[in-house]
Amino acid sequence: MISIDNVTFRYQNQRGDEAALKNVSLTVEDGEFLGVIGTSGAGKTTLALAMCGVVPHEFKGDFYGAVLVDGEDTVEHAPSHFARKVGEVFQDIDSQMVASVVEDEILFGMENFGLPHEEIGARLDRVLREMGIEALRERSIASLSGGQKQKVAIAATLALEPRILVLDEPTGELDPESSREIFALLRRLCEEKGITVVIVEQKIKLLCEYAKRLIVLERGEMRFDGAPREVIAHVDTFKSLGINIPPVAELSAILREGGAYAGDVALTLPEAERMAREAMA
Amino acid sequence: MNLLSVMPGDSFLHRLNPVTKLAAAFLYGIGCILCDSIAMEVVFILLMLLISASAGLLPRALALTRRLLVLGLFMFVIQLLFVRTGAPLLSLGGVTLVTTGGLRSALLLSLRVVATMLPLMLFFAVTQMNDLCNALVKRLHLPYRYAFIITTAFRFVPLFSSEFAEIQDAQRARGVDFETKNLVRKVKLVAPLCVPLLVSSLKKVNSSAISAELRGFEMRGRESGYKEYPFGKNDALALALLVLMVALCAALL
Ligand SMILES: Nc1ncnc2c1ncn2[C@@H]1O[C@H](COP(=O)(O)OP(=O)(O)OP(=O)(O)O)[C@@H](O)[C@H]1O
Ligand SMILES: [Mg+2]
Repeated sequence: MISIDNVTFRYQNQRGDEAALKNVSLTVEDGEFLGVIGTSGAGKTTLALAMCGVVPHEFKGDFYGAVLVDGEDTVEHAPSHFARKVGEVFQDIDSQMVASVVEDEILFGMENFGLPHEEIGARLDRVLREMGIEALRERSIASLSGGQKQKVAIAATLALEPRILVLDEPTGELDPESSREIFALLRRLCEEKGITVVIVEQKIKLLCEYAKRLIVLERGEMRFDGAPREVIAHVDTFKSLGINIPPVAELSAILREGGAYAGDVALTLPEAERMAREAMA
Repeated sequence: MNLLSVMPGDSFLHRLNPVTKLAAAFLYGIGCILCDSIAMEVVFILLMLLISASAGLLPRALALTRRLLVLGLFMFVIQLLFVRTGAPLLSLGGVTLVTTGGLRSALLLSLRVVATMLPLMLFFAVTQMNDLCNALVKRLHLPYRYAFIITTAFRFVPLFSSEFAEIQDAQRARGVDFETKNLVRKVKLVAPLCVPLLVSSLKKVNSSAISAELRGFEMRGRESGYKEYPFGKNDALALALLVLMVALCAALL
């Protein structure tokens, strides 16, 4: 469980008197699938970094409030203390690599954890397969495409089997199909193994489908927090933020406002179809 | 192409233990430093080219040799003008410009620079820094922390240059012309790039360190590596040959 209690954070060299996070409070329960969305500079990355103590340990600034990971204060412990519990995939894909070859990158964390030899081998094979990158095993990381690198970074984190996974725009460079596959995999991990997933994403459509809970950040503040269906209903706010919500959701919200439809906001095509039938009936 | 990046392969050279490769490169260099004969330095350079060719690295070795020759030329000119021993070879208006001793020592020094540096730079073509790190820990029992930091520093060298190329590209897109032959102008164009390069590189190193920390870097013990790096017969053979070479060079001093 991650509990974030009234956190305000201002980077040391942040301009003006803006803060990256302003009075953010949030509890992420075990086994939750939380999506984080917001425009550029909204503080999504800062929030993700605060969940493993990188903020404020590695990025200096003024930090108020508290972040507790399973009851342990991130200010009191170094980020390495949470290494076994929290796995984080960072937004900047290139600079999080520590090795030059795909296989070595994935081995790195497992070797550090001192896992038994056979266990390492088995997990290596498994994550390569899960991410569909078996063929890249011996490739030099520098020679990979952005999307392939993202898969390697995700594989390296999955191999550590953390109980809490924090991913900062992990599909930014991936094609729609691969992005969906990764969301499906995360959802499966969440449901079958009870892993907590926190994912920062721009792809609102996928978030609506796979996340159980969605929060919206705007200029460091939390605007909404709830089930995707409830959050997405605030069509006007998303418009003013410049975030494009799925057309079906927008349509159902408009119909609802006009009184032509009384059900929930539709998130997927089948739901939209049902809505259309209802509205026309 | 980056002259320090790894060229994967499966040759005799590639298959040596990383520690052997490092020791071999140094021993070869030491041999060249001890060696006091112009002919032998040429032989060492040619031999190194031959060895590279056996590992499919001839193009890389030639490109490196060309670069090193430029450095050698620089040393050559300085040495030629400053060493005054031996008989006058070239005089201008009663002032001796070049002496036989100067010429000999200039030739020797410049060739020696090439011969010494070549194996050290080729080392990077056949060794993954990650393997070197693990092998240093497993075989030489170096503390993991230091082995990791040293090898990571080298891993970042090619990264710096690709970063530099990226920044240069961005500048070029804005209409900056780097293709000038005028050295002063070139320095004026490149110097301002050093700051963004430094900033972005430091950021990269820092994020890499954070990522390592979050993946348990501090827990690593000597025994926890997945791959083994055993010394084999080939390693013994390579090291024996190189020790022999150094001994010969030392004996001929
Ligand atoms: N290292 C830093 N130093 C100073 N200010 C920073 C730093 N990192 C982020 N900021 C500022 O903090 C605010 C929040 O940044 P953050 O990176 O968390 O946004 P984000 O929502 O992740 O944006 P994006 O979608 O572009 O990744 C921004 O105003 C940004 O300029
Ligand atoms: Mg971000």
